[in-house]
Amino acid sequence: MAAEPAALPSLLQPIRRRLALAVLCQAVSALLNIAPFLAVAELARVLLADGPVDRDRAWTVTALAGACLLVRLLFLVTASVVSHLAENDLQLSIRRLLVGRLDRVPLGWFSGRGAGAVKKAVQDDVHALHHLVAHSLLELTAAVIVPLSTLAYLFWVDWRMALITMIPLVLGIGLFGRTGAAFKKNLPALDAAMTDINGAAVEFVQGIAVVKTFGQTRRAHRRYAEAADRFASFFRGWVDSLVTPRALSEIVLSAPTMLFTVLLGGTALITTGRTAPEDLVPFALLAVGITTPVLTISFAEEEVRAAKAAADRIGAVLATDELPLPERPATAGPGAVTFEGVGFSHDGEHRVLDGVELILAPGTTTALVGPSGAGKSTLASLLPRFWDPDEGTIRVGGTDLRDLAPEEIYRRMSFVFQDVRLLRDTVRANLLIARPDATDEEVEDAARRARIHDRITELPRGYDSVVGEDARFSGGEAQRLSIARAMLADTPVLVLDEATAYADPESEAAVQDALSELTRGRTLLVIAHRLSTVKDADQIVVLDGGRVVERGTHDELLALRGTYAGMWQAHERSTVWRPGSPSQSTADDPTGSDTLAGDTTGSDTLAGGTTAGDGTTAGAAPRPAIEEAV
Amino acid sequence: MLRQLMAVVGPAERRLLRTVLALQVLGAVLQAVAFVLIVPVLERLLGDEPEDAWPWVWALAAAALAQSVVHYLATKGGFKAGAALSKVLHNRIGDHVSALPLGWFGPTRTGELSNLTTQSVMGIMRVPGYLFRPLISGLLTPAAVVLLMFAFDWRLALAAACTAPFIALVLRWSTGRTATADRLRAEAMTEGANRVIEYAENQPVLRAFPGSRAAGGNRLDEALSAQRDAGRQVMVAGVPGQVGFTLTVQAAFTVILVYGTYLALGGSLDVPELLALLVLAARFVEPMAEAANLGSALRSTRAALGRVQRLLDEKPLPEPEHPIRPSGADIEFEAVEFSYDDGRTVLEDVGFRIPERTMTALIGPSGSGKTTIARLIARFWDVTSGAVRVGGVDVRDLPTEDLMSRISVVFQDVYLFEGTIEDNIRAGRPDATDAEVRRAAEQARVDEIAERLPGGWSAQVGAGGAALSGGERQRISIARALLKDAPIVLLDEATASLDPENERAVQHALSELTRDRTLLVIAHRLQTVLAADQILVLDEGRIVQRGTHRELIAQQGRYADFWAERSRSRGWRLSRTPVAG
Repeated sequence: MAAEPAALPSLLQPIRRRLALAVLCQAVSALLNIAPFLAVAELARVLLADGPVDRDRAWTVTALAGACLLVRLLFLVTASVVSHLAENDLQLSIRRLLVGRLDRVPLGWFSGRGAGAVKKAVQDDVHALHHLVAHSLLELTAAVIVPLSTLAYLFWVDWRMALITMIPLVLGIGLFGRTGAAFKKNLPALDAAMTDINGAAVEFVQGIAVVKTFGQTRRAHRRYAEAADRFASFFRGWVDSLVTPRALSEIVLSAPTMLFTVLLGGTALITTGRTAPEDLVPFALLAVGITTPVLTISFAEEEVRAAKAAADRIGAVLATDELPLPERPATAGPGAVTFEGVGFSHDGEHRVLDGVELILAPGTTTALVGPSGAGKSTLASLLPRFWDPDEGTIRVGGTDLRDLAPEEIYRRMSFVFQDVRLLRDTVRANLLIARPDATDEEVEDAARRARIHDRITELPRGYDSVVGEDARFSGGEAQRLSIARAMLADTPVLVLDEATAYADPESEAAVQDALSELTRGRTLLVIAHRLSTVKDADQIVVLDGGRVVERGTHDELLALRGTYAGMWQAHERSTVWRPGSPSQSTADDPTGSDTLAGDTTGSDTLAGGTTAGDGTTAGAAPRPAIEEAV
Repeated sequence: MLRQLMAVVGPAERRLLRTVLALQVLGAVLQAVAFVLIVPVLERLLGDEPEDAWPWVWALAAAALAQSVVHYLATKGGFKAGAALSKVLHNRIGDHVSALPLGWFGPTRTGELSNLTTQSVMGIMRVPGYLFRPLISGLLTPAAVVLLMFAFDWRLALAAACTAPFIALVLRWSTGRTATADRLRAEAMTEGANRVIEYAENQPVLRAFPGSRAAGGNRLDEALSAQRDAGRQVMVAGVPGQVGFTLTVQAAFTVILVYGTYLALGGSLDVPELLALLVLAARFVEPMAEAANLGSALRSTRAALGRVQRLLDEKPLPEPEHPIRPSGADIEFEAVEFSYDDGRTVLEDVGFRIPERTMTALIGPSGSGKTTIARLIARFWDVTSGAVRVGGVDVRDLPTEDLMSRISVVFQDVYLFEGTIEDNIRAGRPDATDAEVRRAAEQARVDEIAERLPGGWSAQVGAGGAALSGGERQRISIARALLKDAPIVLLDEATASLDPENERAVQHALSELTRDRTLLVIAHRLQTVLAADQILVLDEGRIVQRGTHRELIAQQGRYADFWAERSRSRGWRLSRTPVAG
């Protein structure tokens, strides 16, 4: 038990008193643990005394021994119950503390880690404290109190015998120190070997489909097998260096060794008349008890180490910076959302956004376009304050976003993401997230307008069905639920990821209908992927490398013959590919039109019309010229 | 536990484990002998002739020394067995997993197998080194002590023996009591973990809407509180067991103490003998208490062994005894029926033929069985009834390597190995020349990716490597398939929208890949469907329509609906605001 890390004492603060009580009870129980043996030693004196036996005294001592055992049990259980209960409460309070902190850290904290890591911090790391708090503290108490009090008593009985008894104890503890040092020295290597084999196993499983279909099963397996062999041989070498000191220390501290030492010394001293025979009894009884707690502590070494590392990790999470909330929140007037010289970087080095100027005038549609990695999503995610900009200001109706209360932001803006997440809760609760005080009628109306009401009423418990239990939604259905959410929020500003409209080929049309309904009349910021979808936007903003490189309407931008015009050309051409057609080098086919609806060129051709069937079928296909909301 | 352990290891390890076990048994008996030798030593020391104790002291020394030697050998053997276990378990798991059908590898398998190869194996490795000794000495030492006590005083020995069944009963009772609570806690912990994961995954939504903090937060907090309560229950359930066990063990000692005092006061037992036996009785209870503390370690080891056993029980795909060589690259499904192990039927009476060098498109709603059809060709699973034939031969009569050499699979979840771009492409055909690798890379426009990355062709990709976009990963996987140059291509078209630049590159690469091949494509794009020689419309595991686009569009039915719907959505765009109505 070396010095504890700084994180641990402050984590333990709330249960300090209860832990102190538990330690006290444990100390009393440790002391009482010796009592019955003292009683037997006393009984020896009574029975071995010259003259008639004092029967009453013999029985009193015996009864006392029994009583001490009972009282000891009481204290032992109290100590254990108190420390376990305290630890139990501690887990909850640390978890709440962690969640409370995570509620306020920048969203980037999550995306940099993944849900598995969050679960590890909140669940596994907190759980790892269990042994340290609930057991080790008490074991340590016993390991200190029992040998010390026993030795004190034994010295009082016979100091020469006590000295002899101490020989294996001192030897054993010294050997343990050496084992511990060897153990610790190799821990990083052990961790590395574990990580190695873990990585090989993960790669083995994740790549298995590729590995098998390419007939390389043996190759990936070999990598894993090599990692397994390395691990086994490392472990062999590691335990080889450990096994001798460890076995020796165990032997020195073992019960037979202690008994032999005591009886050898006792016989020598008694036969030479230096010690009274009855004084040997307490040594024979108590010597073994001195070393047992030392062994117990050494066995728990690994758990304690894990607990300390976990406490450090918890401490690190609790020390994460929060997004600051305004002390005196302002309210925003009506008006545009403006980005003024906004710059942002995730890591402080690589700039994702640089000097972005942007005005979202009320009631207009603004589309963000640009290659992947241009900063479109990052720009949009500054609006719900997933992050704060490093430079510049975002204003809503003239007020800095950072001066608005979170509730005020929610009243102004809502969001439809491409990656829909539903909570494992009732359908109703999932919708009410947007506006907790909405009535059932309002909820159903929003669902109806999002084209999802009928699907919900078909569920066994309708709106009270639980997502993931008796309500399972396809991708497109989940998207319509998220659209219903935004309908319910009914905010003047809406941020939308356009990919939503295409993410589920099976129900594209329904999702699109819902989106058309949702976006009507709102100030819209769209992260655009498919250029044709946002062709009609009031303002198209082209981002590249975090900067606004072009802005204007579709026609204005085409006339510029710049980045946008190039993207538009690529977009048009990319839609004409067909697999398995030997005659066609499609990427170079200049005749393809953008969409089947022929909305750019007015052409009705489906795909460049190079095979005979196409021309005919184009005519046979229903003309898909349904322009939403126009 | 021992039986479980022996079942998952080989004969060499079994021998090693038996040796360690035998040594531990010997050690426990020697320890009991050493304990019992206290009695004659003390008897003489406390009696009139202390000098007579010497021979017994030396006997004790011999016993302690023998026990030490045995302990040393057993510890060494235990650790050695641990290392051997790690090797044999890792190898057996690896061998077995690589023989399992691809269908076994779902998304949860990664976490499962990484837990298995680290935590579970580590847990099992500890058994011979850490668990054998306390367990064996906890059982054997007290039993041997009681037996040997009969040699000194049968009455006290009998009294001690009488307490044994009580101790066993209490142990059994307390384990039973905690088992239910343990299970409930495990459930509460799983629920808590799931809520935490939900909380983390839903952060964007939770932060973007006002009501979510209450909703999501509450569910999480409820789960965390429930977890605390369940933890309490485990403790409450465990306390009587703990009290009961300690009480019984103490009672055993007290019975011997009181009965012995009674006998000594009555004069029928020598005082030195009584004292010696009391010292012995103290030794009798300690190993049992130590063994009782191992309950949770035992439970988790059993669970780990169970997990390994379950994995090894998974059935691998049988390899054909008399392999047949296929001719050609056509694909045929004959009355194929397929259900998962849990009885869910995915395909029913599916029959079709894909002639060599033609293209077949599969369409249908999600869950209709499209992916399953593609996977049955690659023998992810075997059919429940009917047959899948490649080149006229049932895939079950083809050796796996032979079948796989004929198929290129380009699915949506692209996996890249840890290694360079070049390594990843070369995986398609390890004996390809550098020029061939470059050519495949150029065809899939991977050269553009290599130019962009700092390390060029030797840039590290895959786990821990450079972050590549979905489109870029797909291009590498297509290059891999191009290099492999298999006559059959199974393709799952991407649903997610790629940026125009990637979309073009991917499509160009696919055109190269699919030229002159037998092609089965899970189609999402209308152009793909149009180009197909044959379209199969699936619904709920059955083929409901089949034919060319021209034939199908003329009929009323699924396909016409599909076409209308998809065509309509293709032209959708966001409206210019503001709009009327």
